[in-house]
Amino acid sequence: MSCDESQEKAKAEREERKGKRSLPIFGGAAQKNVDLEPRGVWRSMDERAGVLPSSAKGEFPAGASELEGVSRRGFMQVLGVSTAVATLGAACQKPNEKIVPFVRRPEEMTPGNAMHFATGYALEGYTSGLLVESHIGHPTKVEGNPSHPDTLGATTAFEQALILGLYDDDRAKQIRRSDKPIAWTTFLSETRARCLGFAGNGGAGLRFLTGPTTSPLLADLRRRILERFPRAKFVSYASVAGDGAVDGAKLAFGKPLVARNRLTQASVILSLDADFLNDGPEQTRLSREFSGRREPTRDMNRLYVVEPAMTVTGMTADHRLRLRGGDVPAFTAALCAMLAPKLPGLGALGTLAQGAPAWDQKWLSAVAADLERNRGRCLVVAGRRQPAVVHALVAALNSALENIGKTVEYGAPLTTDTNSGPEALRGLVEEIAAGVVETLVITADNPVYGGPVDFKLAQLFKRVPNVIYTALYEDETAGGCNYFIPAAHSLESWGDGRASDGVVTVIQPLIDPLWGGKTEADVLAAFVNEGDQGTHALLQKYWGSEAKLATAKGGAAFAAFDAVWERWLADGVVPDTGAGAEAGATINAQALAQAAGPLLAREGAARGNGIEVAFAPDPKVFDGRFANNAWLQELPQPVTKLTWDNAILLSPATAEKLSIETGDWLTVSIKQRAVDGPAMIVPGHADEAITLPLGYGRERTGHIGAQVGFNANAIRTSEAPWFDRGATVSVTGSKYRFAITQDHWTMAPDGREIPPPAVAAPLSEVLNPHSTLNEELEGRRGPQPYIHQPWDYSKQQYKWGMAIDLNKCTGCSACIVACQSENNIPVVGKDNTWRGREMHWLRVDRYFEGSPADPLVVTQPLGCVQCETAPCEYVCPVNATVHSDEGLNEMVYNRCIGTRYCSNNCPYKVRRFNFLNYTNDVSPARQMGMNPDVTVRSRGVMEKCTYCVQRIERKRIETRIQGRAIADGELLTACQQGCPTQAIVFGSLQDPSAKVSKAHADPRRYDLLHELATRPRTAYLARVRNLNPELAKVD
Amino acid sequence: MAAPEPAILPNDPLEPIPLIEGKHTDRTINDSLFDHVWRGPGKGWWMLFGCALSALGLLVIAITYTLYKGIGSWGNNIPVGWAFGIINFVWWIGIGHAGTLISAILLLFQQKWRTSINRFAEAMTLFAVICALLFPLLHTGRPWFAAYWLMPYPSVHRIWPQFKSPLTWDVFAVSTYFTISLLFWFLGLVPDLAALRDSSKSPTKRLIYGIFAMGWRGSGRHWAEYKWAYLLLAGLSTPLVLSVHTIVSFDFAVSVLPGWHTTIFPPYFVAGAVFSGFAMVLTWMLPAREFLGLKHVVTPKHLENMAKVMLVTGMMVTYGYVMEHFIAWYSGSEYEYSQFFRVRQHGPLAPIYWLMVTCNCVVPQLFWSKRCRTNLWVLWVASILINVGMWCERFTIVVISLHRDFLPSSWKNYSPTWVDITLFIGTIGLFSTLFLLFLKFVPAVAVTEVKELRHELAHDPTAEPAGETH
Amino acid sequence: MNLLFRPKHNTLAQISLFLVAAGAVGVPGGLMLYARTPYARQMQEPIEQPIQFDHRHHTRDEGIDCRYCHNTVDKSPSASIPPTQLCLNCHSQIWNKSPILEKVRESFIQNKPIEWRRVTKVAEFAYFNHSIHVNKGVGCVSCHGRVDQMAAVEKEEPLTMGFCLDCHRHPEKNLRPVSEVVNMDWKPEGDPEETGRRLLVENDVHTRTSCTTCHR
Repeated sequence: MSCDESQEKAKAEREERKGKRSLPIFGGAAQKNVDLEPRGVWRSMDERAGVLPSSAKGEFPAGASELEGVSRRGFMQVLGVSTAVATLGAACQKPNEKIVPFVRRPEEMTPGNAMHFATGYALEGYTSGLLVESHIGHPTKVEGNPSHPDTLGATTAFEQALILGLYDDDRAKQIRRSDKPIAWTTFLSETRARCLGFAGNGGAGLRFLTGPTTSPLLADLRRRILERFPRAKFVSYASVAGDGAVDGAKLAFGKPLVARNRLTQASVILSLDADFLNDGPEQTRLSREFSGRREPTRDMNRLYVVEPAMTVTGMTADHRLRLRGGDVPAFTAALCAMLAPKLPGLGALGTLAQGAPAWDQKWLSAVAADLERNRGRCLVVAGRRQPAVVHALVAALNSALENIGKTVEYGAPLTTDTNSGPEALRGLVEEIAAGVVETLVITADNPVYGGPVDFKLAQLFKRVPNVIYTALYEDETAGGCNYFIPAAHSLESWGDGRASDGVVTVIQPLIDPLWGGKTEADVLAAFVNEGDQGTHALLQKYWGSEAKLATAKGGAAFAAFDAVWERWLADGVVPDTGAGAEAGATINAQALAQAAGPLLAREGAARGNGIEVAFAPDPKVFDGRFANNAWLQELPQPVTKLTWDNAILLSPATAEKLSIETGDWLTVSIKQRAVDGPAMIVPGHADEAITLPLGYGRERTGHIGAQVGFNANAIRTSEAPWFDRGATVSVTGSKYRFAITQDHWTMAPDGREIPPPAVAAPLSEVLNPHSTLNEELEGRRGPQPYIHQPWDYSKQQYKWGMAIDLNKCTGCSACIVACQSENNIPVVGKDNTWRGREMHWLRVDRYFEGSPADPLVVTQPLGCVQCETAPCEYVCPVNATVHSDEGLNEMVYNRCIGTRYCSNNCPYKVRRFNFLNYTNDVSPARQMGMNPDVTVRSRGVMEKCTYCVQRIERKRIETRIQGRAIADGELLTACQQGCPTQAIVFGSLQDPSAKVSKAHADPRRYDLLHELATRPRTAYLARVRNLNPELAKVD
Repeated sequence: MAAPEPAILPNDPLEPIPLIEGKHTDRTINDSLFDHVWRGPGKGWWMLFGCALSALGLLVIAITYTLYKGIGSWGNNIPVGWAFGIINFVWWIGIGHAGTLISAILLLFQQKWRTSINRFAEAMTLFAVICALLFPLLHTGRPWFAAYWLMPYPSVHRIWPQFKSPLTWDVFAVSTYFTISLLFWFLGLVPDLAALRDSSKSPTKRLIYGIFAMGWRGSGRHWAEYKWAYLLLAGLSTPLVLSVHTIVSFDFAVSVLPGWHTTIFPPYFVAGAVFSGFAMVLTWMLPAREFLGLKHVVTPKHLENMAKVMLVTGMMVTYGYVMEHFIAWYSGSEYEYSQFFRVRQHGPLAPIYWLMVTCNCVVPQLFWSKRCRTNLWVLWVASILINVGMWCERFTIVVISLHRDFLPSSWKNYSPTWVDITLFIGTIGLFSTLFLLFLKFVPAVAVTEVKELRHELAHDPTAEPAGETH
Repeated sequence: MNLLFRPKHNTLAQISLFLVAAGAVGVPGGLMLYARTPYARQMQEPIEQPIQFDHRHHTRDEGIDCRYCHNTVDKSPSASIPPTQLCLNCHSQIWNKSPILEKVRESFIQNKPIEWRRVTKVAEFAYFNHSIHVNKGVGCVSCHGRVDQMAAVEKEEPLTMGFCLDCHRHPEKNLRPVSEVVNMDWKPEGDPEETGRRLLVENDVHTRTSCTTCHR
């Protein structure tokens, strides 16, 4: 830390300000005062130098005040401990720091305190409700909106990572015509001119390629565009669309419908290749409903999963059948056959089963029996990858099992286009090939990368005279287009959208577009000459008129629009907008049987033989749209724990058969197409099959995501978007090095007989108080003899503790990203992750049980457990980690000298060390997203989880001023708040009625490494397997 | 280097090997022992010195790079928080032990055979400790703070170092050890410095030696006080021989980690230290003896005795290993058992473990035979192997224990970087540089003491045969 | 041969030995003293501000409450420097022609913030929170000194960790009725010790000294 450095910093900050001159704070303040004074707000950042880490270096702010005040600097100077510091001491003896206050301060704002705004985020068109924390105009943390029906206060990893995406310096920043930068107004005028051209032929050559959307505003814009250009067309495409569901409903009900699942009533759930706990618009709600039924004492549900590759849902299953994706239709038919005798509702569907079963019939019959026993209290779910016929049969099953209306309801689709798969795109492709398309407006997410390879979209788009594309990044699609418009990030844009059950959320921006991005609405509005109005105006106009209509219909809610509007924004949801079930949707079993027969036959034919290739949306980068998000890239994949890569997944047996080892570089070729990638052997994968995760191998995006992994789309065709057979897999001979954060799979490798870190046991064992399990658990909790007199906490007002219910944890890893976002945890990159230097304070350990071929899984989130007798504390030579009176194991970054002894002596290895300066290249933009309440750690400093102590202290001060105590549940840690299944409970053990105290008293409670007498404050609740007695021995 | 031919054993095995070979007068001893100081640096010396300096250069590069980049430039990770840094530290400290043991303890036990090797060994102690002292600071994440937060002074933020931490003890133990060793070595030098002063030709040399000789005139009073002070320092440093490495061993023994958490560390660390110390002394003395013409004062007798010490300490170390494994099994702790019987023997780093066992347990067994004890080649190769073995021991203890601990989920593998290796080579460079300079500026053998010994042997018939060690 | 050293050299040797010893003790000692000087702590140095703002005038003569301008002090970690707007609440009426206030009007019209110079600074990693202190009866004067007597504000207290700990370990010395926090002249009536202990209870003060109270 030298003087120059501090000057550099000052410079950096100056530039930062310059760069962001035009940054109005938005959201709450914006309602009243839309173009609120920009610079004042922005500059005011410095006002809080004492609170905000004024630079990414945090501990090294301008003028080395990191030496704890001048007196210390005086020391350093004369001692000349290091010349650098010495020069600093000499030159910066009198730091001249500026305080830059507002010119006009928005009245809602109290510098130093955070504000929260309700907004939403649309993935696959469905909008989840978010609550975003903002410090003087900079969004810093995303939480779920508790009053939103689909998020219920929790979030997915994707949503948690939005913050990093928002401040991503790699985002596109310039509107351009081919390579020439142009202004938005220029684009508008040129579009206006072009539209006049269309006027003649009614827009015959005008096509729009959008992603699936539920936004009423966008739907309205589309309506108006089509009014103006009757011959224009809208096509919707998404790389991971699940058209099977809608088409299946067409088959079953005769009209397009979508299933909405409700797990609260479901005692038995059968998932057919459906990762419903970690994929799709319902995942957050379903996770909550699912975990709500995981209380062993209260009628616990039972989950059967049939899937080719292990997913989060598969890891949570009580019974899991690994089955190649292409065999699932046959399996479904066989299930119908099995149930038909007992369920007259199925009628002729019982006769569809054909071919020899590729699965254990015993398993099937047991499941069938279980479902049948639980009529009206069970649920069959089909995954997005399955063809229409499966979804149709599943609908029939659910109806025959009397589940419709109880555990599932079928309602009209909410997306403007029912279909957005390859078939939807085919029409457009043919038109382009025929040369009828003159202007193509693309708002879909990167079709060139995600589109079917046989469509050759890259070449096709070149044949369109005029392609207009809007996206967050200059990506593969941006390459070929004549007009490129940087899209505004969700947290920068106005908008609206509907949740999976139809509830509308108004998306409000937290900050003005950092780099002048435009919303999809802006772009579409350009075609009705309203592109200059701004989405906020469009939105208010649209909902204003909606309001009038409603008022005309006598809807009281919509009276006094402005007030209503304010409330929508405040609540984050628009009341009474939920979509109900489709009335009178009935299934004609006979007709379905007629139709299903040939379809199944075709599936059977398609099945054929040979190795199956399955494509899967990635739990980290989804379809590739999050590829440039370092948090998600470094997030360990829930099952494989792989970071910064995707891999060709295959089962141990298949690997042995093909003599492949993890890390072998493979060539997968199918139908004259081939793709190369590294192999990874995953327990629980179906044999004779390989899985290729989508979303990697990006050619063009930011510097984070480019050239990471391989692109599975290279062999993904419109005929077989999900499963294909007859692949040949060859070993190239070269090896590949993965960065895996947990490469030991079982709880006791090399046959150690240690007490398992994560306990899982059958329900019967758990319920029987005298079972060996309960005896064992008994021995793994409670105080151990300890050499010293333990500290007396009885006098304390609070005694912080945590409990994690392994039975609720699905391993989705949203908590990891939440923690990363809350605590300014740096990203270390692939090499450092490979070396074992990942910084995640909270990790989710994943252990396989049983045979590698077909294991069950336990996941165990593990952060610092705050030992009462902490081994890390007494070995620190400088008192940098010490115990608080309330039992926190505190880590004092500014005191740490980095001997790493504490980490060596930590039995849980939950401490993380800044081996390098991981924060020195943080962009000024990114700095805006740092949590000002947490020090940014410098190089050479140890860090770890402290139960979000910054939240504790904030809440403590708040409540002490109000003269009351912190109530149970009003103080949440970041991981707890993000957790979709509420597996994590935090609170004060001093309060016997607190949730956490109850959890600590739970018979399933045990302490990790209890025999070491560390007295951890984090307790674990054993996982329970609700085994089907008939199958008990399958695992 | 050129091969020193094996020492010729006396034909009659009953005839004891003398401590000083040939007939000598004070003058001949003086001349023969000062010779290598007055003789200008030869080709061989320059060659060695060149190598040493370039290795030292590597050290400078490695250290600069480490300070610039951070510990991330090393191979360390979580869970392997300590690796080469601490290994080298412990290894060098250990090597430092021979000196103090020979000079202090053997002095107190009045072992005559110590005289002609103590100077040598003490110098090595000093240089070894200097090498060791690099690491405690260097291996921290923020040395600039470590430098003075470990210094207990009434600071303005009212926090003191934590005296519960073995690392804090280290600071005191090692610095004390260094100071005492330095004084001890220097005090022993004074008479020789005086002799050098008087026998040197050029005035500048005379001046410089004169200043360091601190006005030594060899008067009876001088000698009386000298003897007294020397004995006192010997008494002071004797407990240090035990304390230093005991405290270093606490760095591990105090923790909860399987493979560290054991009470046998202090004794077996000390034994190991002496073991490696003697090995290192031999490694350097054999060539030095050859090229500096010290054969007549460093006789096979000395070498043989040192071999015997290595045999004994080697056995102690072996016993230490055996006990570790026994306790790991006997304690019934699965973590301990797994560490010693699975990870160390079959884990990814098992080769290092087996190399350690071979070098430290098998090799010393050679010294049961007098032949090996007195065959220079055997001695020399064995001593090098033992140094390697002791380094592997530290690697086994530090890295192998760390990289497989309690929770399988946190297990990681370890591989060093070029910086790690350069640092290690660099310290050897530093050591050699200092040592070669030492050989050029002061006599490698305590001349006065040798003369003294000669007189003793001459006038004390019972002292013949001299150098009975037990 | 001629003598290498003469008797005087003994004295020389002794002196040099003494100097070494003295240095070993003196240098650290000196540093410790230096570190405690107001100079090293940048205390008692009035800081010139871009605008000649006189706290004496505003607080004493006009009797304006500190919290009128530093109006987040009781609800936020930072007391906050008033926005230009706030200055003009009064100065749009009075002294609205004064040349001294030119910069203020300029700032407001051109929408350009006034860049004040920081006087009291706490390290970035020390999370000081004004609101809790003010609400528990720690007067402004305890840390900022007699601002009402400063033409240009200067740092009055060292604000080192030691300084904070002193009060957190024995808060009674610096406690006052919450109503009196901004009162610069307030003196405890009766026995200060006694009053302090009473206020400790009245204001329901529970000072904390665990590290995370300030360092997170």
